[in-house]
Parts: sequence; structure tokens; C-alpha cells
Amino acid sequence: MGTTASQLGKDLLSEYQELTFLTKQEILLAHKRYSELLSKEDRNLTSVPMEKVLSLPELKSNPFRKRICHVFSTSDMKDGSLTFEDFLDLLSAFSDSATLEIKSHYAFRIFDFDDDGTLDGGDLEKLVNCLTGKTEDTRLTPEEMRQLISNILEESDIDKDGTVNLSEFQHVISRSPDFVRAKSLFCRTA
Amino acid sequence: MEFSELQRPSSTIAHSYHGAQQLVRLRSKSVVSNQNGPQFNWGSPPSEGGEEGDSGPPKDLRERPMTMRLKRAIREVQQMRVPVVTSWQSWKRSKAKSLSRFRADAGGVMSYVALWRKALHKIGGHFGGGVQSYFIFLRFLVVLNFLSFLLIAGFILIPSIVFRSTSTSNMTVDSTGPEVCKVYDPNLQGLVVFYQYFLDLLSGTGFMEYSYMFYGYYNNTVAESSGFHYNLPLAYLLTSVFYFAFCLICIIARMGSALRVAVATGSGAAGSYSKMVFTGWDYGCQGDRATKLKQKSIHYQLQVDLEEERLQKKALSLTLGQTVGLCSLRIFLMLISLALIGGAFFGIFKATVFSQVQVGAEGILGLFWVYLPSIVITTGNFVVPFMCDQIALFERYSPSTTIIVALFRSVFLRMISLGVLLFTLWSQITCFKDSPKCELCQYNNKEYPCWETRVGQEMYKLALFDFLITIAMLILVEFPRRLFVDHYSCVLTRWVGRQEFLVPPNVLGLVYGQTVVWTGALFCPLLPLINTLKFFILFYCKKVTLFSNCRPAVKTFRSTTSTIFFLVVLLFGWGLALVAMIYSLAQIHPSMSCGPFRSLTMMWSIVPNTFYTLSLTTQDFIFYMGSQAFSIPLFIFSCVVLCYVAALATVYGKSVDLLKAQLKLEGRDKQFLVKQIEELSREMGVPTRDQLDTFDTGAAN
Repeated sequence: MGTTASQLGKDLLSEYQELTFLTKQEILLAHKRYSELLSKEDRNLTSVPMEKVLSLPELKSNPFRKRICHVFSTSDMKDGSLTFEDFLDLLSAFSDSATLEIKSHYAFRIFDFDDDGTLDGGDLEKLVNCLTGKTEDTRLTPEEMRQLISNILEESDIDKDGTVNLSEFQHVISRSPDFVRAKSLFCRTA
Repeated sequence: MEFSELQRPSSTIAHSYHGAQQLVRLRSKSVVSNQNGPQFNWGSPPSEGGEEGDSGPPKDLRERPMTMRLKRAIREVQQMRVPVVTSWQSWKRSKAKSLSRFRADAGGVMSYVALWRKALHKIGGHFGGGVQSYFIFLRFLVVLNFLSFLLIAGFILIPSIVFRSTSTSNMTVDSTGPEVCKVYDPNLQGLVVFYQYFLDLLSGTGFMEYSYMFYGYYNNTVAESSGFHYNLPLAYLLTSVFYFAFCLICIIARMGSALRVAVATGSGAAGSYSKMVFTGWDYGCQGDRATKLKQKSIHYQLQVDLEEERLQKKALSLTLGQTVGLCSLRIFLMLISLALIGGAFFGIFKATVFSQVQVGAEGILGLFWVYLPSIVITTGNFVVPFMCDQIALFERYSPSTTIIVALFRSVFLRMISLGVLLFTLWSQITCFKDSPKCELCQYNNKEYPCWETRVGQEMYKLALFDFLITIAMLILVEFPRRLFVDHYSCVLTRWVGRQEFLVPPNVLGLVYGQTVVWTGALFCPLLPLINTLKFFILFYCKKVTLFSNCRPAVKTFRSTTSTIFFLVVLLFGWGLALVAMIYSLAQIHPSMSCGPFRSLTMMWSIVPNTFYTLSLTTQDFIFYMGSQAFSIPLFIFSCVVLCYVAALATVYGKSVDLLKAQLKLEGRDKQFLVKQIEELSREMGVPTRDQLDTFDTGAAN
């Protein structure tokens, strides 16, 4: 599919432009970055292993980097490796022009640590721990965590089933105008 | 209650748990691996009612959250389906596609042209939305001032330059009145000491006084040449009035768009924890240190909010005696802060009076007397909020209330201090208490032969001094502080720490600067241009200090509500300037020795004078518009429209509440039914939902 070719074909480029929110320059830059990730011996591989993806400077210090790789990966072995098209999907979801639905959909999947389709107490606790940091002095105390999770569920869980599903999540997100701006990667000139 | 009937509800639940099965042949490898419990299958596309016949613009495909492979497959299917359309429709669709592509390209180009877009993006990524909203506000003010300058230049400055250079067939109406009032000699000395130019530049006197800069230079020319009629005084007045109206419209339009966003997203308080947790992470590229800072700030924010909630719960459970004690303490501290502010006002009043008396002093000391009101105002604006902050520590309000109270105190102080300055100026000019000075010309012509120029000079000095102080603070305080904290490590430096970019005081500085410009624009037409340059340079200076000296704020400022707050405060400033302008236009006698209104008893009277030269039909029409027969029905109509819109808003709010309650009930019904089914299935010995999942996935394998 042209992932290891040094140049992208023109048809493929226009197809990617239509299917993602990226501009032509951004797709070409993404192709360059992706090719850099593939070392010389792996020329024949079609997907980049997760460790290499995590070495990207944009993802290196992101607390959700492993979840991002898992969510966008389409490999059968569920090892988080990304093909070039997965990589484009990732960049498209995080670009400036992506819609709110796309961003909230993928944000929900990233936050769903146990992949069961809803955010329950365990997911929320892992999420808050990622946000505040893994070290001991930046964690919330257990009482604060309990108070926080009960507050979140009280605010977002509309049907009161103890979990936050996708529609409830998107409802909360749609009422926050800062969200769309926050979820953009590649703040360098692309 | 047959087995098959029971099977159906539970299997429906199992199926709904696995997602809809649309376009099954496209799901080549959507095996749900059973790692830890049932996994949600995101691989299948959401259940929509089939594909529409019209493929529509290609954007629709991007908005579906599917993998590239699926999107490509759907696209192929869409393209294979040849819909029966006419050539007209296919032409229209191809044109729509190229138009959307062109729009995307044009949007990319326009984003390069927009002022400071990349800088704002970088600031937002590193420091968050609150600081970015300050810079967006600064950009708005730069653009507003520049457009105002174009307005003034087009209608006042350029005609004045043209008339002065041609000076043919111009009418200059001389003023009637005592000769002594018409004496105005703006020190046009031939040879001056070289540093005098610098002093003149700073105080607006000397070579700057009799120039296009100030009101006194403009003549009341009415140019008439071969059918072209231009009444400069009328243009001057109407441009000033329109300038105010233009600024008001811009501010309201901007506030409207911000309010629309705020109303759509609901009140800021509700859902704040969920919002903070779900949207708190900014995914911009950040290094390790920035990430740790961000995590610390989120941690701090959560802790503070949880603490505030606990405090609120505790406050509700105070005894009567404790609440009375707390209230009396707060009232006492409020009185102290009001006394501090009153003291500052008194100081400004005295300083202005003293400064006006000291006109004529030479050299640096003269400059100091001349700048005395500005110095006192700036000192007051530093000292009084600092002391109010110390007082606020004892008031024991919740953190968010403390911020709001402090902001309102600062706003009050700044605006009213400017108002006190204007009041003293005006009372000096029209001599409130000292009648004999103003008997001759209705204004104090001895000390103010051209009082409008003097007022313009005061405003010019305020604006310039504000700018110089900001630059001086940058160079003398912020950079040294950073160097000190970075290179020495002792208890003091750790306690003081790096500078934090506090948004509210900076915004108040901007609003103060803009209010000064609005007040002075009538008397110093070039002031908007000076302000444009000032704010333009300020943007770069603040950006440099932000990136070099400041650490990211621990407490973040919410950006949408803060935009509305900035614009509300700006409106306060606008209102103050409007009051000043109306008083100048309608109450004070214009100088008889200078300016475009020298022949009139009141600046506003140029409008009725010109009005009566219009044709009779126009006069009758305008009279009719102002009469009761027109305005009362208009007023009643606008009241009706307002009531209708308000009623519509309440109805929408009520329907939202009803729908929310309905959702809750439905959720409870669903839980009840699920419980019932589990109970019944346990009784009947039917395999439960979990067992059914393993059975299902085993079958798929």
C-alpha cells in the first residue's frame, strides 16, 4: 500500500486528503516522519512497532501515549503497532480541523482503559491518575479520589447506571468549548 | 415465558453490547479477543439507516470514526453505486467538490495572513487558554484602534491637511467675544535647548502642542469649491460620535459571539469536575518538564476545587453566632478597603490640583510636576490592590469569590481614579468654586487659553506614562527577578519564585489604557494611532517576558467566561469615556482662541446650526422620526419582540429539563428490566449474559 515507498503516489495522496482532515503538506510531512521511524532493516515491514512510535517527541511525554497507540492500531495481535494509515488516522483525529464528534469519539476510546465501551469507576480512577502524574506526591488521596469520582458520575451519568457511556461523554464534551482547541498535536509548523 | 422468548431479550442485549452488524461483508477481521471480559467492538460502523442514494460531499466520510480501511471500502462501494442522476446534478456535485477543496486551500492561506495566529497558538499550547485569551483581547484592541485611526484620518486629518495646504476659498468664521479670550500663543520659539525636544515629546508641549496632534491646531474651515462642500467642525464632531458608536458595536458583537458560546455550553459551574477531567489535558507537544508542570497544575486545581466544596459544606453548618461574627468581620474589612480606595482618590485630587498650579516650571523638576497625576495614579494602582489582597486573606471567602472581589475592587479603583482626574481637570477649567476667573469667557482663559489641548495633553501623558512604566517594569523587575531566582538558590528565592503571568491585572491595564484613549480622542485625534503602536509593541514585549520569565500558572483561568468579563470591564471604561465626552460636548464653552468650534457657544450647537440649513422636507421628516407618533409605537414593538424572545428562551430551558428528567427515568426503567431479566433467567436456569458472550465469541471463532 505504498507505506515503504519513498514517494506517495498522487492518487493515494488525494485519497488520503479526502478521507482525513489533513492538508497535503501535513500528509507529506507525516509520510516523512513515518519513514524515519522505519529503520533500514525493517524496510519490508508494513507497520511500526509501538516502542518506535512512542519515541516520537510529540508522544514521548504524553501520559496517554500507550492508550493512543492501542486505540489507533488495527493490527491483529493488539500490540499497538501502527501502519501508515493508522498513523494518518491518528494525526487526522488530533488535527485542528477535525470535528468535535471525531475528537470526542477517540477521546472516549482512549479513556476507556478496559475497552468495555463505558467509563466506570476503575477507568475514571486510572484517568485521573494519568492526569495528575504517577509519582506519589502528585496523586490524590483515596478520599479525594472517591469524592472526585462520585462528583464526576453525579454530573455526567445521566441515566444513573454508574458508568459514563459514549453519548453522555459527548454531551459533557459538547458543553465545553475549550475541548476542540486542546486536542491538537503537531504544534510545530507542519 | 418460553425459553425462546426469554432468549430474545437477552440475546438482544448481547447483540446491542456487540454493536450493530451493518455491512458485515466489510468486517474482515473484527474478531473480539476475549482478554479480560467482553470487549466492545468498535470495528463495525455505527448503525445508520443504510447509505443514502446521494453520496453527498466527501467530507461526510471523514467525520465517521472508522479506520482508514473501512472508510476506503465504503468509498469504493459509494463510487460503485452509480446513482441515476442527471448530468446537471453530476456537474453540480463536481463543482461542489472543487468548491470545498478551494475553500480548504483558501482557509489555509488566510490563516497565514491573520495577525499573530502562530504566536497565539504557541502561547495557548504552552500556557493555556486563560493567558491566550489575554493576548487575543490585546489583538482585538490593536485592530480596533487601527480601524478607529483610519476613520479619524479619513474624515478629520486628511481634509484638514488638504485645506491647510490649499487655503483657497475657505471660510474661517471668526469668533465673537472679548478679545482677551482669543489670545493663544503656543510657545513657537525659534531656538531651543536640544533636550527641550525630548521633554516636549514626553509632555506634549512645545513643538507638539501646535500640530495635528492636538485639537488646537484644527481650524473651523468650511470648504466650498465647485459644488464640493465640506464642513470641518461638523465632520470633527460627527466622526468623534461615530467613533464611540463604532467601538460600542464592535464590543457588543464580540460579546455576543462569546455569550452565544457560553449559553450553549451551559453555566460554567455545572459539570465542572467532569469538564476538568475530560478536557483538562492539552495534547500539544510538550517536553517532560512542561508535562510535569501541567500534571502538577491539574493536581492543584482538582485539590483546590475539592477543598472548596468541603469548605462550602462546612460553611453551611456554621452556627448563628459564627456566621454573625464572620459577616461583621467581612463588613469591617470591606470598609477598610473602601477607606484605602478613598484615600487614593483624595491623593489623586490633590496631586492634579497641585500639578496644574505648577505650570511653567523648567527642566526635570517641571517634568516631574507635569507627570505628578500619572505618577500618583500608577502608585495607587500598585499599592492599593496589594493591600486589599492582604486584607482579603482575613476575609476567608472561597477562592473563586476572592478573585472576583479582588477584580472588582481593582476595576473600581482604576476607573474611578481616572474619573477623579477628569473631574478635577474639568472643575479647574470651568472653575467651580472660583467664579471671577471664568466670568469673562465662561472658562478659565488665564490658565487654559486652549483648554481642549490641555486636556488632550493630559490624556497623552497618561497613555505614554502607562507604556513607559510597563516597559520599565519589564526591564527592571521581571528580568532581574528571573536571573536572581535562576542563579541563586536561597530561602528568599524559593519563596518568591519565578514570575507568574497574572491575567486579571494585565487585562485591567489594557482596559485602563483604552479608556484613556477614548476619553482623549476628542481632544487628541492622533491618540488612537499612538495607542495602536503602543499595544503592538506591548504584544511583543509581553510575549518575550511570558516565555522568558514566567512559569505556567498553577491556577488556570477559564477562557470563555473570562472573555465576557474582559469585554464587560471594557464597557465600563467606554461608559466613563462617554460621560466625559457628553459633558465636554454639551456643557463647557469651547475655547475662543483655537480649534474647530471657536465660534460657537457649545460644541454640539454645530449640529442644530447645520440642521436648519437642510431642506424643509428633510427637517420635517427628521422631526417626525423624533416625535411621539413614531417613537412610542417603535418602543412598544421592541418590547413585544423582547418579551417573545425571553418567553422562547424559558420554554427551551424547561423542555431541556423535562428531557433530562425523562432520560433519568428511562435509565432507571432499563436497570429495573435488566434486573428482572437476570432474576428470571436465574430462576429458569437460562445461561447468564456473561456465559452467553463466551458462547457467542466461541461461535464466531
